[in-house]
Amino acid sequence: MSRYIARRLALAVMVVLLVTVVTFVLLHLLPGGPARGVLGLKATAEQIAAFNAEQGLDQPLPVQYWRYLSRLLTGDLGRSYSLNSEVGALLMERLPKTLLLTASSTLLAVAVALPLGVLQAVRRGNALDHLATGLAFALYATPVFFLSLILIIVFAQLVPLFPAQAAQGDDLAALLSQPGSLVLPVLAGAGATVAALSRFMRSAVLDNLTEDYVRTARAKGTPEREILWRHVWPNSLTSVVAMLGYYIPGIFGGSLVVESMFNYPGVGLLFWTSARNADFPVLLGVVLVVGVAVVVGALLADLAQLLLDPRVRIPARRARAGATR
Amino acid sequence: MGRGGLSRTFQALMLCACLGIAGCAGAPRQHGGGQGRAVIGGSLSFALPPGATPNWLLPISLPGFTASFNGAIRAELYVPLYLYSGASGTVGLDDAASAANPPSYAPDGRSVTITLKNLTWSDGNPLTSRDVEFWVNLARANKQSWAKYTSGLIPDNIVAFRALDEHSFTLQLDRPYNPDWFTANQLTSITPLPQRAWGRTGPVAPVSDADRTDAGAKRVFDYLVEQARDLAGYSSNPLWKVVNGPFTLTSFSSSGHVVLTRNPRYTGPDPARLDTVTFLPFTSGSAEYNVLLAGGVDFGYLPTANLGQRPKLEAEGYRIEPWAGWAITYAPYNFANPALGAVFGQLYLRQAIQRAVNQPAIAAVIWRGAATPGYGPVPQDSDDHYLSESQKANPYPFDPDLARSLLAGHGWRPGTDGVLACAAPGTGPANCGADIPAGTRLDLAILAESGSDETDGTMQVLKSELSKIGVGLSVRTQPLNSVLANCSSCTRDGGDCSWQLSYFGTQGSWYFDANPSGEDLFATQASANFGSYSSPRADELITATTTGRSPGAMRDYSALLAEQLPVIWLPNPPYQVSAIDAALRGVVQDPLGGLQAQRWYWTR
Repeated sequence: MSRYIARRLALAVMVVLLVTVVTFVLLHLLPGGPARGVLGLKATAEQIAAFNAEQGLDQPLPVQYWRYLSRLLTGDLGRSYSLNSEVGALLMERLPKTLLLTASSTLLAVAVALPLGVLQAVRRGNALDHLATGLAFALYATPVFFLSLILIIVFAQLVPLFPAQAAQGDDLAALLSQPGSLVLPVLAGAGATVAALSRFMRSAVLDNLTEDYVRTARAKGTPEREILWRHVWPNSLTSVVAMLGYYIPGIFGGSLVVESMFNYPGVGLLFWTSARNADFPVLLGVVLVVGVAVVVGALLADLAQLLLDPRVRIPARRARAGATR
Repeated sequence: MGRGGLSRTFQALMLCACLGIAGCAGAPRQHGGGQGRAVIGGSLSFALPPGATPNWLLPISLPGFTASFNGAIRAELYVPLYLYSGASGTVGLDDAASAANPPSYAPDGRSVTITLKNLTWSDGNPLTSRDVEFWVNLARANKQSWAKYTSGLIPDNIVAFRALDEHSFTLQLDRPYNPDWFTANQLTSITPLPQRAWGRTGPVAPVSDADRTDAGAKRVFDYLVEQARDLAGYSSNPLWKVVNGPFTLTSFSSSGHVVLTRNPRYTGPDPARLDTVTFLPFTSGSAEYNVLLAGGVDFGYLPTANLGQRPKLEAEGYRIEPWAGWAITYAPYNFANPALGAVFGQLYLRQAIQRAVNQPAIAAVIWRGAATPGYGPVPQDSDDHYLSESQKANPYPFDPDLARSLLAGHGWRPGTDGVLACAAPGTGPANCGADIPAGTRLDLAILAESGSDETDGTMQVLKSELSKIGVGLSVRTQPLNSVLANCSSCTRDGGDCSWQLSYFGTQGSWYFDANPSGEDLFATQASANFGSYSSPRADELITATTTGRSPGAMRDYSALLAEQLPVIWLPNPPYQVSAIDAALRGVVQDPLGGLQAQRWYWTR
């Protein structure tokens, strides 16, 4: 298992490195460069030249990348062109807020979707199942920005229960001091995940309910409650956990939209603002963080599956030998 | 588990979740109302422009930190030596918001004597001449790092600082200047700094006169810049607690969320009436608009595309007022373009193009009445001081028939696709003009900024109107940064000079200092003369506006460039269309972008 983890970690590092190369090259291929945008219309040619020299933008691209990578290895993500802060400090300030949003959205989604999926499977074909299926499809087909807009119009404008924007401030405490301002962003972030997870859980439970081991258990007189929660639930959960792992980066990406819609001061908003200002160091920093999140999400999903499903732990050779016997 | 049991559990969970969410609900903020009588105190939320993030506090800005909202917030904390605003109805000296009484120029224009007002720093020290000298010393020793520095201008043009007493001093100038221009565009750059708090070279170094030597001034400046780079420390660093303005800084986050609180130790004539002003950052106009509709800001704005929602916002207690900027909007010609530079050099052709631009229609339809047509180099929204009669009257009103006949009269004939081509090369009165070969087509390309419905609409109208006079126009859009980077000034034989026309005016192309002189814009080889326009007469008049004594020089300059058309003049969009709580009074939407938030007050 440790060799498996080591192999996956090495692969993860390579993927992240590749992400930085692609992002770096694409950003620096943008026409014009960032100097004029950062310094403004009134900057003189001397100021633009000084900016390019100071940022190393007058060097060949491979040299720029090598410098970036060298700094990265020492933990230096660079300094934002436009926000007057170190990129590392900006990420440290914004990341907890985005994690709060994504964790709350994911928890809410899991808390709603899993029981709902089980309920739908147990009551398959009845009115509740049809209603939940219809809602899930509608939610799944609704883009996050549109769902956010609907939530804002309904719950902030027509029935003004919650603010249309998140609380602002330096740290998490400022956000948590106004929990009402978190409701709509969390609901918007959870929407599509609830739809996907509930559908997935429903299918997994339905599949398991038709398995031989369930029939055997029923034949042995095991109560339905025990069959459902002791046998079907953990077996259904393995595939859902794997899916959730791969879904976390998606939720992170979705937070970019949610944060910009609700003016939520997280990493997504930072990325949006930096993209507008051609703030390359911040863009690279955020892409790096998202890249790491994708890789770590996938890795965690695999590890969770490894723990939950004993079949995955059986080495391939033994499995083949068993099959031959 | 029975089916009913599972369902009940799920229903109970959902009920708990709904109750939890409902428990977080709050009451919405009310807007409107008010009795007309000032209510002292209270708080206000102000929406910053889309994507704007305040990021600099030190009154000597490094390049990249010169955004208008930085200056507007700073002016609430550190009173500038002279502040101009639109408080009087037109742009002029705002005496109450300035740290000094109006300047007195020597008859020969070579020196100016200034007396400071009775202001006090929040640490108890009075504002003195030494605080002004401190700024001059720092700016002089570190001018290459200062964003506003232009060779030959301030601080180069101050050859000596002489303190007369604690509150009076004389600035010796390198040559005579136009007093109006010098006060409006040079002295406004000076902000007295608290020397007795900031005059140190490090956090534990004692306050000293280190700034009186070049090396010392560099060390002091480096220390201050280091502190200014620590955004997280803005609200806690004792350095920034020493202010002399009507507000103090309470909170400053890297996301742009800034809170100002009334300065209880302010001793000047312009104290704050509100207790706190909170600046809220927004990623986009639509994000801000959603919050505005939900009543989440007291002083916000709406995209011009949403001006149809005006009655709804007014019903919710807002008043809607366009905020005109002290700006002009235009599309520069690239006179150095190898293919079409010679064509653009012909005044008759520029006249024909200008006559094909239906500015009133663009302002009324595309900008829904929020933009103002502009016909020259001086802002027309709110000026009657510098504007010439010629510019005011519009020397080239929309007249496509006249435009067509102008081109036909100079030997341009339509090709099979309707685009005009030069059929009469030469320099005579009926010819195309010098250096324009036969067959040259009037097929133009414009590089315009993307991301704005209004700009897209303006470009489509231009394309359509120009096609009617036989001029083709292809529109290429790029993000604003790319447009600015790609339309820089160039020479015919040096580097990429392929751009022909450009447009970067969705929020106004150029915002002026108080005196809208053109030394940066239309003087030969000026830093922002992107199209390489050059006219000896224009240079002469620009020099007269800065160094001459004639009060009429600006109007002559206005008339000349309105007639010479160095660019295509286009309608000037508002800085923003504001939605202001109807109960908030004392608001003057300053064309120079200042806030003067100390004058705002509630009537509710």
